[in-house]
Amino acid sequence: MIAELVIFIILGIVAVSSAFAVILSKNPVYAVLFLVINFFALAMLYLVLSAQFVAFIQILVYAGAIMVLFLFVVMLLNLTGAIESLQDKLPAQRWLAPALGMVLLVEIAVVFLSGFFAQVPEASELPEGFGTSAPVGMLLFSRYVLPFEVTSAVLLIAMVGSIVLAKRRP
Amino acid sequence: MDLIRNHILSILIFLPIAAGIALVIVPRRYAVFIRWFAFISGLVAFALSILLFLWFRSNMAGWQFEEFAPWIRVLPRVVEGETRYAINYHLGIDGISLFLIMLTTFLTPVAILASWRGITERAREFYVALLLLEGAMIGVFSSLDLILFYVFWDAMLIPMYFIIGVWGYENRIYASIKFFIYTLVGSLLMLAAIIYLGLQNPAGLTFDLTELVAADIARSVQYWLFLAFGLAFAIKVPVFPLHTWLPDAHTEAPTAGSVILAGILLKMGAYGFLRFCLPLFPEASVHFAPLMIVLGVIGIIYGALVAYSQPDIKRLVAYSSVSHLGFVVLGIFALNIQGIQGALLIMIAHGLSTGALFLIVGMMYERRHTRLMSDYGGVWRRMPFFGAFFIIAALASLGLPGLANFPGEFLVILGTFAAANWVYALLAASGVVFAAIYILWLYGNVMQGPVEKPEVEAMRDLSVREAFVLAPVVIFIVLLGVFPGVVLDRTAVSSEAILEQVRPDESRTSLGRGAWAIEVRGIGTHALRPKTDSPQPVPHFLVEGGEEQ
Amino acid sequence: MTIPVSAADWIVINTELILVGTAMIVLLLDAFNRRISDRISPWITLVGVVGGLVSLGFLWGQEYTGFAGMLVIDSFSVLVKMAILFGTGLAVLLSVDYLRREELAQGEYYGLLLLSTVGMLLLTSSANLIMIFLSLEMLSIALYVLTGYARMRPRSQEAGMKYFLLGSFSAAILVYGVALIYGALGTVDLAGVAEALTAPGILSNPVLLAGAGLVLVGLGFKVAAVPFQMWTPDVYEGAPSPVTAFMSVSTKAAAFAALTRVLVFAFSDLSGVWMAVIWAIAALTMIFGNLVAIAQNNIKRMLAYSSIAHAGYILVAVASANQLGIQSIPFYLIAYTFMNIGAWAVVTVITRKGEEGVGLSDYTGLFWRNPLLAVSMGLFMFSLAGIPPTAGFTAKIYLFMAAVNANLIGLLIVAVVTTIISAYFYLRVTVIMFMHRPSEVSAVHVPIAAYVAIIIAVVATLWLFLFPNSTQAFTEAVWRMGL
Repeated sequence: MIAELVIFIILGIVAVSSAFAVILSKNPVYAVLFLVINFFALAMLYLVLSAQFVAFIQILVYAGAIMVLFLFVVMLLNLTGAIESLQDKLPAQRWLAPALGMVLLVEIAVVFLSGFFAQVPEASELPEGFGTSAPVGMLLFSRYVLPFEVTSAVLLIAMVGSIVLAKRRP
Repeated sequence: MDLIRNHILSILIFLPIAAGIALVIVPRRYAVFIRWFAFISGLVAFALSILLFLWFRSNMAGWQFEEFAPWIRVLPRVVEGETRYAINYHLGIDGISLFLIMLTTFLTPVAILASWRGITERAREFYVALLLLEGAMIGVFSSLDLILFYVFWDAMLIPMYFIIGVWGYENRIYASIKFFIYTLVGSLLMLAAIIYLGLQNPAGLTFDLTELVAADIARSVQYWLFLAFGLAFAIKVPVFPLHTWLPDAHTEAPTAGSVILAGILLKMGAYGFLRFCLPLFPEASVHFAPLMIVLGVIGIIYGALVAYSQPDIKRLVAYSSVSHLGFVVLGIFALNIQGIQGALLIMIAHGLSTGALFLIVGMMYERRHTRLMSDYGGVWRRMPFFGAFFIIAALASLGLPGLANFPGEFLVILGTFAAANWVYALLAASGVVFAAIYILWLYGNVMQGPVEKPEVEAMRDLSVREAFVLAPVVIFIVLLGVFPGVVLDRTAVSSEAILEQVRPDESRTSLGRGAWAIEVRGIGTHALRPKTDSPQPVPHFLVEGGEEQ
Repeated sequence: MTIPVSAADWIVINTELILVGTAMIVLLLDAFNRRISDRISPWITLVGVVGGLVSLGFLWGQEYTGFAGMLVIDSFSVLVKMAILFGTGLAVLLSVDYLRREELAQGEYYGLLLLSTVGMLLLTSSANLIMIFLSLEMLSIALYVLTGYARMRPRSQEAGMKYFLLGSFSAAILVYGVALIYGALGTVDLAGVAEALTAPGILSNPVLLAGAGLVLVGLGFKVAAVPFQMWTPDVYEGAPSPVTAFMSVSTKAAAFAALTRVLVFAFSDLSGVWMAVIWAIAALTMIFGNLVAIAQNNIKRMLAYSSIAHAGYILVAVASANQLGIQSIPFYLIAYTFMNIGAWAVVTVITRKGEEGVGLSDYTGLFWRNPLLAVSMGLFMFSLAGIPPTAGFTAKIYLFMAAVNANLIGLLIVAVVTTIISAYFYLRVTVIMFMHRPSEVSAVHVPIAAYVAIIIAVVATLWLFLFPNSTQAFTEAVWRMGL
């Protein structure tokens, strides 16, 4: 238990500080790289929860695919020069954002203090193979086979659509 | 023959519609064929309506020539072992519908013949519209299902809207939209009321008139439903404050359109009151009758006064309709047999006499291209033959005894005496005097006097076709004036049935049956003695020795 | 292991399978031989659509549940699916010459059109919140692309972008709602939801209410109900006309089927809450759509607002939530499909290359240039206004009867008054077409495929008025069945 707690605290610190770094770094490339660290930290947190499948998906999809896309876009657009001019477009944000953040903090504090988590039952023994890809796969191909197939069709549409919109004029 | 007899109403409705649809595929260049085809279809429909007249049994109460077919299946219910739909194709007529259908089939070929020369552009579509209109109008007069009635009532709007809007005069667009929206406002409220009424039926959802008249509707509900129905009908009649669409529509419509509008469409409002408002909402009808009587009287006098101040001949005739239809409203809401029978007579007579006047105005317009009274004068010298027709139509319109309008107006005034205050009767009677003023003023200005304008000099008398247009109308004006009994005999039972619905507790007698024609003409001494023995509804001062009663 | 797909499952999705198969053929053909594909892909698509209709014919009057209750086939969904397929078929007929005129690629267009249709069909059958979300995404993503399909035209691009951004946003809201409902009830099955709602005290659960509200927002966006209608005029105006024709009827049909299933069947125990909300939305939608439509001089925008208004009318049926109301929805959708696509067909024909000529003034004196076209358009306008003898009238009386039966007199009066208002702007089109004379009497060129589409729409509009029973008798089963 102690080891788990230590790992959780370390991961939490990494996740929060990398998230701060994302919004504080001026260079967008750095920001994106910090985001990668953040995603990895989250994936680790999933692992701590025994959710192996979700953790790997997190790394594959977010840290892998989406971040690469982000990097590509950032580098292609080469925004370094434009950053300064973007800064004060919405001055109200400076005051609104911390205020809303405080509201959220208070909300969370209230939830904690109200004893909400006392209701959460003790974690029971996990079933065999919980959080691995096998039961997820079983569900996907049995009970949820239709949503799964429909998703594939949605992806096909997205692919065809992006090609249609992006290709050069015939 | 039996096939025709059993389905004569459907044939009457769908024959013109089918003819209209058939015309669509005839190439436009066969203009002569198109005209004759439309005219002959109209004549065939008229011939069929004469069959209807001959087959009609005047002494039979209830509906005749009934036809029934299930139409829209909504919340079906089982009645006597068979499934009944809420909305059905249910047709049937009584004496009231009979003559309005005949008026329709008579005026339509007349209107077609009158458009021979006047309509040159897109003539095919014009005749199509007229024929579709005829089918829908006959449908209105023969529907016994409220939704079916509404369908014909609204569907009729579309061809009329186009007749005014496409083939009318300068201000046609404004007039046609006004006509459409006015009617739609009333009719949609009526639709809401119809649906509400249908769901009130204790035996389950139905829109069948024969079933709904038996339903007992709460008094407060009746008031609202009467107002919703009444608004639709009052707009159509038109009753006094709702009449403003009428002068525009009549003036801007082409001749055929004006004839149909005045001749038939206006009667639909009155027909609606008789067919639906009185039997369905008897308590509300009694409650609102004083109001309607006042509005009717205002209509009579207002219409006559405004007619007198019109420089435009067509507008003058249009306003005279407001006045005449005031009599109809007055007669209906007198809620006695004289009033209703009189109102029916006026409805038919007005269709003929005002129709004739619109035809006459149209013929003058075709020659001179103006409708201003001041542009004419002394026309009689150039067109004596035409003048003869004109004077008969004009005299009929002012209610000269022996011509169509007189018996009806007379009966309505009698009914008003019997039912309401004598003041109303007196005011209504003064309407006849006003009518004499504006009609004679019109005739004098247009026909008499010296010929001052060179254009008038150039006017030619009636062509053979035009004579054929006017002659039948004028003949019927005279016939109806001399033999009103032909109508009264056949409407008596139906009128009584309606009154039975409204005031079941009062004993009542028929004023119909044969002897009528003579009695109406012999008014001086012992007018209007009923054939039956019960003396009740006849105004006592009109019966010999009335004081002693 | 084997994938457990039973015979019933295959039957439930057979229509969708036919269309997916057709879409694959069209897409692959385009990849292999563009010349042939350009010539025959619309006809392949039509064959697929007709095949889908035939398969629905076999399902007529039957009831199936497939995929562990995720999809259901009942008379309600079969009828709505027919409406959708009629919409697709007519849109294909309009597209043939449109794509050629605008010089747009053919293969992908029909592929996307078909896949979007499949999404709609699935949405109509969905009895599971996850399936509702997925099929909504399926139809939407294809539509985003189709809206921006004329990518050389900035208007179309803009419309595609707008639709995409707002649509994604609404989809996110919907998912959030689904998640909350799952949190509150522990199920995403509509049947399960209905059952869970019978538990005592559950109805006042704020999480449940928030979830249901968010789902309502997501679906309200798709049917273009006020206040989620902002995207409609711009998207309808910018998108290629046949696409607009398609989405104005088919999307609406599918989304209304889902809305009805969710509200009336799954959340029926919650009706005390949503009834008032739907009442207000329906009234606002009718008033807003009709009032704003009056001010439009661009026919595409006018029809867009008219489409918003019609969403309001259908919501009246949803609000009444009784037998008559449920029966009237499929009928209204089918009638609306024909009359509205008919109107858009005329718009497509009148419009010139590059979506020019969409002002009302371009219709001046159409009667004198092409009477058949003008009369058809007139018929569609009267039908949309609900004036007999048209299908639109029959649809309206069903609706009014449902409202009276549910004692929604206030809503009925709003519907009646707005119908009168709507008559004004529909009439305006007829005035311009019939009563004004054209400045130039040039004939209007009408491609044969478009003529066929218009004639089908005319015949159907009249037919549904004369013989409405075929659909009605059939939908009576819906109410007895429940979910």
